[in-house]
Formats: sequence, C-alpha cells, structure tokens
Amino acid sequence: MLFVSNRELVVPGKLLAEGNYVAGEGAFVEDGKIFSSVVGLTEIRERSVSVISLQGRYIPRRGDKVIGIVVDTHPYGWILDLNSPYTGNLLASELVGRRIDIFKEDLSKLLRMGDAVLAEVREVDDRWRVFLSPLQRGRIKEGRLVEISPAKVPRVIGRRGSMLRVLQETTGCRLEVGINGRILVKGKDPDKVNAVVEAILLIEKEAHLSGLTDRIKAKLEKLR
Amino acid sequence: MERPKLIVDGRRLDGRRPDELRPFRIKAGVLKRADGSAYMELGKNKILVAVYGPKEMHPRHLQQSDVAVLRCRYNMAPFSVEERKRPGPDRRSMEISKVIREALEPVLFLHLYPRAVIDVFIEVLQADAGTRTAGITAASVALADAGIPMRDLVTGISAGKVDGTVVLDLMKEEDQWGEADMPIAVMPRKKLITLLQMDGNFTPEEFRQAFDLAFKGVELLYEAQKEALREKYLPSLEEER
Repeated sequence: MLFVSNRELVVPGKLLAEGNYVAGEGAFVEDGKIFSSVVGLTEIRERSVSVISLQGRYIPRRGDKVIGIVVDTHPYGWILDLNSPYTGNLLASELVGRRIDIFKEDLSKLLRMGDAVLAEVREVDDRWRVFLSPLQRGRIKEGRLVEISPAKVPRVIGRRGSMLRVLQETTGCRLEVGINGRILVKGKDPDKVNAVVEAILLIEKEAHLSGLTDRIKAKLEKLR
Repeated sequence: MERPKLIVDGRRLDGRRPDELRPFRIKAGVLKRADGSAYMELGKNKILVAVYGPKEMHPRHLQQSDVAVLRCRYNMAPFSVEERKRPGPDRRSMEISKVIREALEPVLFLHLYPRAVIDVFIEVLQADAGTRTAGITAASVALADAGIPMRDLVTGISAGKVDGTVVLDLMKEEDQWGEADMPIAVMPRKKLITLLQMDGNFTPEEFRQAFDLAFKGVELLYEAQKEALREKYLPSLEEER
C-alpha cells in the first residue's frame, strides 16, 4: 500500500509504503515498512519507492562522470578532490595511456596542484577508495568551471538532456557536466560563456521550480 | 534575588498553564554557506545550528573505517546570559555537547559514510533554560536540511516540578527555583528516548506525569520541525501548480 503520491515533498521518517514495495534511494525499510530518510520528492516506479534528495553532498558511484581537482600527489599519480567526503585516485599511467617510469619522468609536468581533470569513476571499493579513469588526456586546458550543489545537477541536465541541449544550442557553448556539481563551460564568445554560467547558477537557485527550461531558453535567446 | 512564587492560581510567571509550551518558531536553511542550518526560538531561547558534512575527516587518525563520525559543539555566546559568560568551552558545555551527540547519533545512518565526519555547531544566542533540548530539536532540523539520511527527527523538551506542580518546558526562573528539571529527547515516530537527564527530585508518580507532559510537548514540536523543512521548499513548489 502506498501512503504518498508521486513527486510529493516528504521529510525524514515519513511513511511511504507498506507491503509489496522496494525501497530505493533516500528510503529505508523498518519493520516491513518503507520510510523516507531525506527531505525530497518521492519517485514511484512500479514497485520501487525512492526519494530524490533536494540537498546533500556528492557520493561517488561507479560510472559517474566527474571533474576532479588535484589536491595531492603520490608516487604513481594524484589525489583529486571530488567535492565529496571521499577523494579520488588517478594513476599517471592511465592519464597518459602508457607505462610511466616514475624514476625518469617528472609527474608534476603532467598535472599540478589545482589542475582540473575530467574523469570517470572506475571503481569504488568497500573501503570507499575511489579510482578514476581519465576521459581526456591531461588536464582541462580551457573553459570556465562552475561549482553548484550536486543535488541540483540533474536539473542542469534536464529530462533526457533537454536543459543541457538548450544551454548548448542557444549559445553555441560546449558543456561538460560533472555529476559531482562541477560544470565546465567552453565557448569562443566570453559573453555567451558568462550567460551560460549565469543560467547555471539560476538553475541551481530555482532547481525545484518547473517551467525552468523554457525560462532559461527565453533568457538565453534574448542574448542573440 | 528573592525566590518568587512560581505558580499563582494555576498560572505560571509568564501566564502559561502547567502543560503549556512557550511560544516557539523553527526555520530551516538560514545559513547560506553551511550544508544545513536551522534557527529556533523557544520563549526567550534563541538558537542557531549549522551542519557541515559529510566531509573528509582530518586528522586522519580520528576516522572510523566503518562509520561516519558525528561531532557536536554546543556553545553559549558570551552575551546569551545576563552576566557575561566567559567565552569558550567549559565543563558544562562540553558535557552538553556529548549528550547532544549521543541524542542525535541513533537517528543518523552513519554507516553510509565511512571515514567521513559530520560537524554540528549549536550556538546559543540567548538562553532562558532548556537550551540543550532546543538545541537538539534545531540540530535535527539542520541535519535533515543538510540532506543527511536519517531514520527520524529528534525532538527535545524539558519537564519539571515547580511549587509542587509538574510542569512542561521550564523557563529560567522555574529552572532556578524549581524542585526538578528533566530534559528529554525523543525519536517521535517510534517514541524512542535518546536523552534523559534529571536534576532534583520526583516521586515515581510525578515522574510519570512529567514524562507524559514531555511527550505531549514533543508532538507539537515534531510537527513544527517537519513544517519548517517543508516550508523551505513548499512555497516554490506551490508556485508551479
């Protein structure tokens, strides 16, 4: 039996369902009943009940595309900040795609502190060590990096990428969206890049409102 | 100061009946830079709570390999009481920090974030008795506001005895001159107690009465907590309809 409707705002401890249902993300089971564990909007898909959190930090998961920032080096590679409680590990040999003799090569020529890297989470082990695979050779060389709350990233992408399409097609900019809340905006015209950055910050602020895609579209089209 | 008469014709110093709470107000998400925050007023108490995390734990040797660590800091501002309080932690606030931590820990899914830390800062801006329970009440709203998974909220309130009458939610004068003060914190959904302290004396019968009163107060505060969390998002969610 369900006790909530789809896309209903719930708070921790709210009874969501009982009986033949499965608890998804943001929900937990106690005495055979499903409760919400976060503040968020319910999502009911067939037998699964989950709650999409409206807040919270990024937690790494295998397959996520992220943008990390180098905070430390170790003999074989780097430690990257992922805007998360957990840092990521990146191997030097993976970054350049060949064997590296660490006694002959200087790793600081490849990446330095503060450099940003586009990567994919290859594995998260049971000790919460995060291993990254680079999606590009080397560091990110151009573009503007915007940081927003990771909980708001799905809105920047939109339903089946609709928002992302609007942001890119109306301005001609290229976006790389890290699920960890870091977004890279690349474009030739600095005014357009600024407009996209502004738009992203607006999306973050008004993430819970609907009709956002159309409003962003109107705003960006005015620019042309 | 001479001890005033605390209950006259069944009314307390501020006109409340024995089973009434002071007026209260809870607001979630008041601090922009914190991951979660809450502000609470309970009578003359004014309490601000900020939550940071889960984040990486430094120093590393304090990390727990299987769970996140919860750190709480209860602090009274120097101006929160009539006579200036010497700033910084003291015996009392360190003890209160510890019992608040233990009151909050049972609701959090700490095993979801091994090696991480969650920081809770409870700042008492103005104190008028019952700050630890109000701090707990506000802190659980701030934790939920930070998006940290929880089984339930935690709600705290105090009950006590003044002039031989069992009363709910003691104010400063009653705390000072009364016969007993019992702070209590509860996970309201399953009615599980996470904090229970007492100073002074109750008879077993009075204890039961105080207990029932406290649970009555908890129900009201629990609703306000949930409302505070909903209120942060609902106005904008309504707009879209």
